Amino acid sequence: MRKNAAHLVIILLTIFLFSGCLGGREINDLEIVIGMGVDKGQDTQDIIITAQVVKEAEVGRTSDESGGGKAYWNVTGNGKSVFDAIRKVTHKTGNRLFVSHSQVVIFGNDLASEGLQEYIDFFLRAHEMRPTALILIAEDQAADIMDAKPETEKFPAINIVKLVKSYRFTSHFYKVNMKDFVSSLMCETTAPTAPIVKVMEEEGQKNIHIYDMAVFKNDKMVGKLVHEETRGLLWVLGKVESGILLVPYPEDQGLLSLEILKAESKVTPKIENGKIVMHIKIKQESSLAEQSSALNLTTMSVFEKIEKAQSEVIRKEIMTAFEKSKELNADIFGFGRMLHKKYKNEWEKLKDRWDEVYPTIELDIEIEAKIQKTDLLVKPAAPGQKEE
Amino acid sequence: MFRYILKILRYTALKSKNSSQDHTSNNGYNEPIPSDLKKSREIIENILHNSSDVSVHEFYFGNNRECKGALLFINSMVDKEEIHKNILQPLMYGTLMFGNDKNLDLSDIDTIKTHYISITDCLKITSLGDLIDKLLAGTVILLVDGSKEALVINTGKRESRNIEEPGTEAVVRGPREGFNENINVSISLIRRKIKSPDLCVEKLKLGEKSKTDVCIVYLKSIANPELIKEIKARLNRIKIDAILESGYIEQFIEDAPYSIFPTVSNSEKPDKIVAKLLDGRAAILVDGTPFVLVVPMVFIETFQSVEDYYSRPYLASIMRIIRFLSYIISTLGPALYVALTVFHQELIPTSLLISIAEGRERVPFPAILEAWLMIFTFDILREAGIRLPKAVGQTIGIVGALVLGQASVEAGLISPIMVIVVSATAIASFAVPAQTDSGTILRYIFLALAGIAGGFGVIMGLLVTLIHLTSLRSFGTPYLWPIAPLNLSALKDVFIRMPLWNMTKHLSAIIWKDADYYRQAPDLKPSPYKNDNSDSKQKE
Repeated sequence: MRKNAAHLVIILLTIFLFSGCLGGREINDLEIVIGMGVDKGQDTQDIIITAQVVKEAEVGRTSDESGGGKAYWNVTGNGKSVFDAIRKVTHKTGNRLFVSHSQVVIFGNDLASEGLQEYIDFFLRAHEMRPTALILIAEDQAADIMDAKPETEKFPAINIVKLVKSYRFTSHFYKVNMKDFVSSLMCETTAPTAPIVKVMEEEGQKNIHIYDMAVFKNDKMVGKLVHEETRGLLWVLGKVESGILLVPYPEDQGLLSLEILKAESKVTPKIENGKIVMHIKIKQESSLAEQSSALNLTTMSVFEKIEKAQSEVIRKEIMTAFEKSKELNADIFGFGRMLHKKYKNEWEKLKDRWDEVYPTIELDIEIEAKIQKTDLLVKPAAPGQKEE
Repeated sequence: MFRYILKILRYTALKSKNSSQDHTSNNGYNEPIPSDLKKSREIIENILHNSSDVSVHEFYFGNNRECKGALLFINSMVDKEEIHKNILQPLMYGTLMFGNDKNLDLSDIDTIKTHYISITDCLKITSLGDLIDKLLAGTVILLVDGSKEALVINTGKRESRNIEEPGTEAVVRGPREGFNENINVSISLIRRKIKSPDLCVEKLKLGEKSKTDVCIVYLKSIANPELIKEIKARLNRIKIDAILESGYIEQFIEDAPYSIFPTVSNSEKPDKIVAKLLDGRAAILVDGTPFVLVVPMVFIETFQSVEDYYSRPYLASIMRIIRFLSYIISTLGPALYVALTVFHQELIPTSLLISIAEGRERVPFPAILEAWLMIFTFDILREAGIRLPKAVGQTIGIVGALVLGQASVEAGLISPIMVIVVSATAIASFAVPAQTDSGTILRYIFLALAGIAGGFGVIMGLLVTLIHLTSLRSFGTPYLWPIAPLNLSALKDVFIRMPLWNMTKHLSAIIWKDADYYRQAPDLKPSPYKNDNSDSKQKE
């Protein structure tokens, strides 16, 4: 009995003393990285990593207090590869960077137009990185973006995440994370997209602004989608969450603002007589949120007209997006992937000359747009429209 | 191994030595009471070593004061007024005043008992050993010169506490009475709740010196006879000098003495005990303590409160889920915190991680040491708070809250989040009182495992605990019943409590299989204004 107990004590002691705590790391020893920027050095052609590290001691303080500075530290490192550069950051921080909480990865414009392939590998391969980290393209240098101190947030990186997630209010751009981006990248035909972020100087204040979507052909950035074009893309993908549709009133010069409540899409590829036609069916519901004209619109016949005008607007948005993609010859919609799924045999022939085939694709758009409600007013707030 | 054999050998040697002296039954005084009063008085005083609290009152009675008698009692344990009124007065004045009209033989104990002593609780004995036992138990012994018999008269009541609300098990709704140290009072409390001939009380005495009364109480038609047999066998095994509390017995009869989980439950509340008797369990009452043992015990019992059944099922179910969660928090709280902050920082939401990091900025200790310090201090505070008188106890609370809660955070010794984690753990640990011991021990074990191997260590620890729990048995009942082995109908009363009218079946693992017993009629669900065709009554 006593011998057994002694053995037990020895075993426990060895576990405690020699285990080295199996890779545990105290929080104090972590350099928590919340965002990273990747740039290319101007002269050296080195890769420059800008890591945004949390300064724990400054987090609790407000910037008005004496000694209160930025709650983050943008620390840079350069090297021949991404990982090399990241490890070289430790020369300045003293601790290994902890990148699990890196929410955004921003690539500089140089890298994007040169091709992202050789830089993006690390961000998916490293076990610490999150595949859900957002990917963005900087208008110019990523390092500048990381340094624009936001008004309401403590950290620029967190602010960018907040901005990207605001896409659901307008559907003018949308969030793309590492996993989405790379799965498009690895697909033979689909063109990856990523939001573009830039610093805008407004009244001496640097503000971050997300405005366009970058379109990649293979891994090189070839063009941009502006707001309406992006929404046209999102209609097809069924990713429109909300947004304001500006619809001209058919019999008046007034403008109606319709808030999108719900949007669904269904795309069925068809090969008819050697021609590829994509049948796109969109179901949309909206509410009448604002009207500038003084006419009473709430009659069935007028509503039908508005709904028709509304679907015209949507159709136009889709068509501009499609024209743009034809112009760039980049399959942002992922039509190739859809064809592959449905027509396996034909795909073998189409695959190799996809770049020639893509501009010949025709769209057949069917839109079912509905106005669900007129919010709190039935009649417009205009003279002579008193409720009976 | 050899040590153990040696221990047994030594014990048997000691035992045979003792028994040769005076350790047979009835203290070894098996001889009859001598008829000569003087001689018997001498013998008795000799046996009791002339103890000062033993009173011997000699007196003469009879028509002509021709008979000599003696009352023997222990001063502090009898009601003297009753002795005067109901023993001495009738014997001395009664025999003198009314004469020996019927020529009764006053030296015959039976005559005295039936004609003069106006107390119901009387018993005739003939052996000296019995006499000593009864005398020490607090009765009055009447000896009459010339008789070989003695009369044991139970006077008055033993002083005992009032029936109070038990301090350990306060309820909001439900009876407020609790057992007390007097076993007779405790039995009466049970009897008052079950007025059925089914209720069996079997008495035995344990402890060679203390001769403590121990009662096994059960319902004959429900309790498994095998269970009762097993309890008796385990109780009779106990050869010990004294039983001071039911905890003594618990440790001699439990199934898994090395386990940190109790396999014998206890309670101070009669309604709780009766509820368990109705499930087919047996209670063990011990004189001198309000804590009554109940076997067999299952793990989920600790999460069931009597109040669950007195209040309506909705809140009862929520409270039960909260109790389960509390137990998980109280055992795993600090361990999970350490595992997350030291090993799995990527699992913490970013903003939370930043505020944890901010709180830990100045803390000089590793997280596990920090957690250990806090838990340890909490346990010290708790232990100190229990033992201290109430007035000083409050000081402890203030010192604990201020010194630990605030000052240590401000001094940068402990991070504020750790204070929150440990206080949440501490509060949660009191939500399940019956498992506080196992919870406390597990908390330390899991904390160590989390510090060594993080989430992996915690999962390993949980697995070992689970395997151990499934292997436990309490008097033949699987400890994790009805979860493992699974019993679907019994699950109605595990994580949630179904309405009473829905729980028609009884606990199949505990109740006697041959029991011809039902708890309630099957169709008791209440409904408004139903024309009762008395179908249900005919079915029965």
